[in-house]
Amino acid sequence: MMLSIKNLKAEVEGKEILKGLDLQVGAGEVHAIMGPNGSGKSTLAHILAGRDGYAVTAGEVLFNGESLIELAPEERASRGIFLAFQYPVELPGVNNTHFLKEALNAQRKARGEPELDSVAFLKLIREKLAMVSMQPELLKRPVNAGFSGGEKKRNEILQMALLEPKLAILDETDSGLDIDALKTVSDGVNALRSPDRSVILVTHYQRLLDYIQPDFVHVLAGGKIVRSGDKGLAKELEAKGYGWLSGQDEAA
Amino acid sequence: MNSDTQTQHDLQGILHLGQKRMATGMPDTDWQSVTRQRGTAGVAAMARPDRKQEAWRYTPLGFLDQAEYQPIVEGPFDALQLSDIEDLMLAEPPAIRLVFVNGYLASGLCSMAKATSGVVLSSLAGGLGEVPAALRQQLDAIAEHNHVFAALNSALMSDGALIHLAAGARLDGPIEILHVSVGLEQPGICHPRHLIVLEDGARAEVIERYCGLGDGTYFTNALIEVSLGSDSELLHQRMQEESVHAQHLSDLQVRLGARSRYQLTLAALGGAWSRNDVRVTFGGEGATAQLDGLMLAGDRQFNDVHLVVRHEVPNCTSRETFKGILDGSGRVVFDGHIVVSRDAQKTDAVLSNRNLMLARSAEVDTKPQLEIYADDVKCSHGTTVGELDPDMLFYLRSRGIPEHQAKQLLCQGFAQEVFDGMANPALRARAGKLLAARLLESA
Ligand SMILES: Nc1ncnc2c1ncn2[C@@H]1O[C@H](COP(=O)(O)OP(=O)(O)OP(=O)(O)O)[C@@H](O)[C@H]1O
Ligand SMILES: [Mg+2]
Repeated sequence: MMLSIKNLKAEVEGKEILKGLDLQVGAGEVHAIMGPNGSGKSTLAHILAGRDGYAVTAGEVLFNGESLIELAPEERASRGIFLAFQYPVELPGVNNTHFLKEALNAQRKARGEPELDSVAFLKLIREKLAMVSMQPELLKRPVNAGFSGGEKKRNEILQMALLEPKLAILDETDSGLDIDALKTVSDGVNALRSPDRSVILVTHYQRLLDYIQPDFVHVLAGGKIVRSGDKGLAKELEAKGYGWLSGQDEAA
Repeated sequence: MNSDTQTQHDLQGILHLGQKRMATGMPDTDWQSVTRQRGTAGVAAMARPDRKQEAWRYTPLGFLDQAEYQPIVEGPFDALQLSDIEDLMLAEPPAIRLVFVNGYLASGLCSMAKATSGVVLSSLAGGLGEVPAALRQQLDAIAEHNHVFAALNSALMSDGALIHLAAGARLDGPIEILHVSVGLEQPGICHPRHLIVLEDGARAEVIERYCGLGDGTYFTNALIEVSLGSDSELLHQRMQEESVHAQHLSDLQVRLGARSRYQLTLAALGGAWSRNDVRVTFGGEGATAQLDGLMLAGDRQFNDVHLVVRHEVPNCTSRETFKGILDGSGRVVFDGHIVVSRDAQKTDAVLSNRNLMLARSAEVDTKPQLEIYADDVKCSHGTTVGELDPDMLFYLRSRGIPEHQAKQLLCQGFAQEVFDGMANPALRARAGKLLAARLLESA
């Protein structure tokens, strides 16, 4: 199992958000997580990426057999975990190209691989840029600063394409995208798919799942996975909403 | 301590010792005697500033008691070769470069491109030939002795760049003034004095740097006068990269003619103790001043900027953006004072000071002030003191960038807004590199 989450409980500022969550993601699989607003989807994504401010009070999270909880965010990243943020952060004054190069080389260094020089890096980034149809001008600007919503999401996918993670977690990367952008983002994810890479898609929309076929669909509500199924579950949710699911007294 | 050393600690003591040692037979420097006399009188009349004076309230001067500063009044110091200062040079050195070592011109280290018409480059002590009358007359025309250090500079001024651009003269490339301090057996104090005069419609770019060779203790007490004629333009890029044990005081006094444009970018990165006084006075309508600065106060560094902008005539615009980065026991003082006189209607001024604290143990004292006597003006000021944004840090770390490197990237990003104002790419790159290196030393 690539990712194994058992009975995960986590609090933010004394408030329990995840209440015993179980999730198993095998290598090469694509899992979609859906669920009402405020149910804890982003919280789960942040905890996997190692953000401060969450207290894990019970359970375990194993990534390729290794416990993640004690690892720093940068250590998780170099082991292959990537989070595409629901709200990508703006970094004023930090040049995008410089940032991408530092990120890639930091990961390569941590893994004991040779760092890329400027020429090799520029060649690589140009390829990736074409893949996500991003304006080259955006590379010269500070990271995400003043980017449109869609440009920020594309920039997330560019980073994913560049860093080639083992486990990509996409937190509502489809929200706020026009049809063309949705297509490019999906192409980016599909290009990454391989027997040894896995993807977790957090989404509110069945539409994305037309482009990226998930192997499993889960419903996260009230801090737990309350239902799992195949992509038929997503269709059902689209038609009926979350109300019909049992144990929904806590759903927002 | 006996009374002899006691007097030497005193600034008057430095003056007397300096005057005693000053070479009597300096060639043709009689024209400077009025300035020197005014300086001498100033030192005699002014006490060492103390905390009762508003402009010195937060500026500690205890270091003056820690060392016996020897006035450096004999030049030139010509033991250095180009290879010695390789690390101090810009990656693409400007074709015109005036290098001073311990206050005196080092001819062997200079580079002079072929003469451009209307441009005169001279040196105060005469090392580049006789100083033309136009420059002699302008020396000390602007400088006010706002404190005893300025007076001391006038009295003991050693050498410096004198730059004159005739009406309409334009320089394409930059002129670099590079001041190098070499630590001596006894800590020295030197008094560089620069003068930049742009007549009507002239345009120039000047890079002014202060570097330390090695990590000696020394005191650089510089005074710079800048006079801009009508419709002239000066890009003035200054970088203070003194040694970690050095004291550095720069008193920059600028007078702006009608419709002139003055852009100052200051990167104060080095020194144990650094104070930059910047005094800009609008003397003609329609002029613009953009004044930006970055102050670094790493562990055990003190970094102070005192800014006075005087809007004395109508229709002038000024923008002041100063940023501080603090770490460890670092201290930043920012005093930004904009005065708008009664006649200066339609003044447009925005003053901002933002500070980034990397450690709780650091300290910042910031005092932006607007003093407005005109009624039809647009003026504002703002100050912030903040820590690194945890969301930004997490974003970088989630991409695999280790924490210390992520912090460094964010600090550089914070400073970049200021460095971007540097027209010269090699200087901009050097500022970024130096900041990164100093942050690393401080961490
Ligand atoms: N720092 C915090 N302090 C207090 N409450 C928090 C904090 N962060 C998250 N929460 C709460 O945790 C709950 C889960 O939030 P989370 O962002 O994980 O929801 P989500 O499922 O991603 O929702 P959405 O679909 O709207 O993105 C919400 O009630 C939210 O208000
Ligand atoms: Mg969310």
